[in-house]
Amino acid sequence: MFRNYIKIALRNLLKNKSTFAINILGLGVGIASCLLILLFVTDELSYDSFHEKSDQIVRVVFKAKINNEDIKEAVVMAPVAQTLKNDFPEVLDAARLRNRGLQNIATQNKVYRKARFAYVDANFFNIFTLPISKGNTISPLKEPFSIVISEKEAENYFGNSALAIGKQLYLDGSEDVYTITAVMENIPKNSHFNFDLLASMQGHTPSNSTSWTDSGFHTYLLLRPEYNYLELEAKLPTILEKYMGSQLQEALGVSYKDFTKENQLGLYLQPLSQIHLNSDFSAASQMKEGGNKKYIYIFGAVSLFMLLIACINFTNLSTATASKRSKEVGIKKVLGSGKYQLRFQFLVESLLATAIALTLALVFLILFLPLFNELSGKELELSYLMQPTIALFLIGLLIIISLLAGLYPAFFLSSFQPLDALRSKFYGKRNSKGIRSSLVVFQFIVATVLIFATLIVKQQMTFIQNKELGYNKEELLIIRNTNALKGHEISFLNELKEDTRVLSLSKASHVPAGSVNDDMSGVFVNNKFQRRVFVYHIDEHYIPTLGMTLQAGRNFSQDFGSDSTKIIINESAAKALGFEEDPIGKTLETNSPFGRKLRTVIGVVKDFHFKSLHQSIEPLIFDYSQGNTIIIKAKTQEMAGLIQIASEKWDKLQLTQPFYYTLLDEDYNQTYLAERKIGKILSIFALLTIFVACLGLLGLITFTAERRFKEIGIRKVLGSNRIQIIRMLSQDLLKLVSISFLIAFPLAYFLMNIWLQDFAYRIQIQWWVFVLAGCITITIAFATISWRSFKAASQNPAKSLQTE
Amino acid sequence: MLLQLNNIYKWVNSGGQRVFLLKDINLNVNEGEFISVMGPSGSGKSTLLNVIGMLDGFDEGEYNFLDESVHNLKEKHRATLYKQYIGFVFQAYHLIDELTVYENLEMPLLYKKMKGTERKALVADALDRFNIVGKKDLFPTQLSGGQQQLVGIARALITNPKLILADEPTGNLNSKQGEEIMDLFKQLNQEGVTIIQVTHSEKNAAYGSRIVNLLDGRKV
Repeated sequence: MFRNYIKIALRNLLKNKSTFAINILGLGVGIASCLLILLFVTDELSYDSFHEKSDQIVRVVFKAKINNEDIKEAVVMAPVAQTLKNDFPEVLDAARLRNRGLQNIATQNKVYRKARFAYVDANFFNIFTLPISKGNTISPLKEPFSIVISEKEAENYFGNSALAIGKQLYLDGSEDVYTITAVMENIPKNSHFNFDLLASMQGHTPSNSTSWTDSGFHTYLLLRPEYNYLELEAKLPTILEKYMGSQLQEALGVSYKDFTKENQLGLYLQPLSQIHLNSDFSAASQMKEGGNKKYIYIFGAVSLFMLLIACINFTNLSTATASKRSKEVGIKKVLGSGKYQLRFQFLVESLLATAIALTLALVFLILFLPLFNELSGKELELSYLMQPTIALFLIGLLIIISLLAGLYPAFFLSSFQPLDALRSKFYGKRNSKGIRSSLVVFQFIVATVLIFATLIVKQQMTFIQNKELGYNKEELLIIRNTNALKGHEISFLNELKEDTRVLSLSKASHVPAGSVNDDMSGVFVNNKFQRRVFVYHIDEHYIPTLGMTLQAGRNFSQDFGSDSTKIIINESAAKALGFEEDPIGKTLETNSPFGRKLRTVIGVVKDFHFKSLHQSIEPLIFDYSQGNTIIIKAKTQEMAGLIQIASEKWDKLQLTQPFYYTLLDEDYNQTYLAERKIGKILSIFALLTIFVACLGLLGLITFTAERRFKEIGIRKVLGSNRIQIIRMLSQDLLKLVSISFLIAFPLAYFLMNIWLQDFAYRIQIQWWVFVLAGCITITIAFATISWRSFKAASQNPAKSLQTE
Repeated sequence: MLLQLNNIYKWVNSGGQRVFLLKDINLNVNEGEFISVMGPSGSGKSTLLNVIGMLDGFDEGEYNFLDESVHNLKEKHRATLYKQYIGFVFQAYHLIDELTVYENLEMPLLYKKMKGTERKALVADALDRFNIVGKKDLFPTQLSGGQQQLVGIARALITNPKLILADEPTGNLNSKQGEEIMDLFKQLNQEGVTIIQVTHSEKNAAYGSRIVNLLDGRKV
């Protein structure tokens, strides 16, 4: 019997090749999208779960609101780890990590390579699961200046990781020499930190600091098993008061109690598993760009909808082809088949089709995973699918989809009365038409929302691209890290200045785009702490080179010998510090490692966007001092030649670091990489959704055409032309698409407004975007419908009238 | 007595009025009879056949089939009854296009949950009996109309029913093919199968042992 089902199913599939292809293609695309996003979400959720004690590990973070400035840092003060371990028995162990980012590291032959470098406490390996593959497995970082290297990096340096043990590594820019005591396995990609080198904290002086006001250490606690970290978190405020109080009094001249009356500050705990997706801490305090929960939700919803739409299609197409199957159903019923046997048969067919679609989806997945990785910046691997849970999920998916997609056709088809089925007289049922219609409406709601979202994301990205930034980001060449030039710096600069292609040249600490900087300084006015303010160290060429505008006062100048105590502030700073009226000549104090320093305001620069457009413009101070970034303004067509010359000059100096440059506008675009990626991914899914939705529409119009086969014949005999018939056939479906707009537009408006809230500077959603999204959807839908209805309208009427 | 119809009425409501499809039909059929139902188009021949075959219900009257009161049975029981005792032959053959001749013959046996070996034997017998062994792997569309109807009859007989209901079995066939099919029916009848056929043709009706004439749903 079962064989008979499979046989009929297969022969049916072969007979209706085109319908079957549409069906399988739609379902395949739907499942593939779903799997792709499943991989994405699995990866995002798997962060840091590879540590054996992951559910016992928490990170200590710092959050504060000081003079209305929100501060969120993933790093805390040096003594926090030891203090918490001493004071609380529930803290079994505590370890710190001090991130040094990319460092130049050399072996004995002094060839430098960039490697990700951090200092960690000796017990770091006890808390985290970072297996040592070679060398000292017990306590590799106990001694000062010992270092653990990753397998990959060891191979890069020594060819074979086994050769690494006992070798020495030199850190550029310091006298320190480290001895490799162990090789660790590469840290998995789904970790919130990735380092090639972990050096012992022992020799790192700042780690011995007792300051409760200087931050900079990622601090992790190992808690008692089954212990609720919230209990410990509740006890942390007292700790802060106890240890920070006196130091705060000393630094700010205010008691801790008075300070916390107007300000809030505190230590908080974050479970390891939540770090990746809750990473709204200041960028400088994070080791890696975190994930975004919002995108998990968006993608999760999109994949679910894709799958639903694909199932809906399958259902719709199956019922649409029912007319061809009615005879079979009728005969089977007359020959003695019961309803259950028929239902079972159709479910078997749907299972078979789903299995084929699933296979197709896996093929799609293999083909398009590299492309998706490129777009999303992920490194997802197919091997995820091999996990038993995922394999089980796939089987579950297979069954659920075949039930979802097969149940309705099974019940629909098996419910035919045998006589009606033989006479193909089962079309008149109103309720099934209602179900089909609502399915179409649902599909087009999803498709329209996605198209709308894509349009808005595109528009916002264009807006960012063309936003008046307060400076000119075009035609600027940036050469960072001139420290590497050492003694050659001045001659290198002078040679560049003499080049006629260089329109202007500035040397400063920061540029308004590219790698994030959080160089901040506390500001005091009249001996009262005001707030922390960003500080740029610039020279007198900076403002003209970047095309900024001075609102009041003057620029720095070598003509005034003593500009080193002068500052230029931006409009926001003037407002924040209460200097709105006549700021020129006002004084303030900034703190530095060498105590406070008195500054006089000589100018106000017009506000410019020095952070991403996600944030409002913050107060900023320019002071007149050295930075290590060269900024060159030059014509676009001469840029290539200039880069060539600069690179040659650099190479001639035989420095340890290679020449490295960026263009400011490219840096700027990099800032919005995440949004661009989202935009691209969204547009792809929008395309896929509308594609699958159109397959569904095609199925439906086929159904309508077949249902009205005879009617079309009669109308033609009576003199109707093609256009009239196409109109008659399309009307109903286009009406449904229009209805879907009524729901899709408010929904899309609501969702996209939420997304836009992320930008401090954003577009207004305008009416024409709705019109455009509607037009795109309607056009695609109509193109699909008219193709099939044209075919129906062109048939020979004699043929349709012959059948009875 | 195989079946007995007493005062059978069947009607539809059209525009507030009852339109009678069958009106006061009384019919007794004994085992071994060969009955031809005749009448002009719309006289209710096919409706009567469908009522006898239990594919269609009726509104009033009594229907007894082999001591069972069909009018009191639930649909499910009716289905079991007709599956067991009645074979159908259609004007349009109604073979399943996706299945071969062999598989079409096998189908009713599958629904009787018969074992594989038994099925094979029965299908082989039927193929033999109707001389279509050579056609067993062909699909219905590859056969002529007469051959298709032959398969249709073979399929109707394979479950060894007591009654064959044939709705214009020769309607789609040419005269020679029709004659062959009618000869076959006659032969089957002689072997003991009860047959009720609907026909337009006087000549075909003459094959039967008794003729029932219908006009506007009434027996005349």
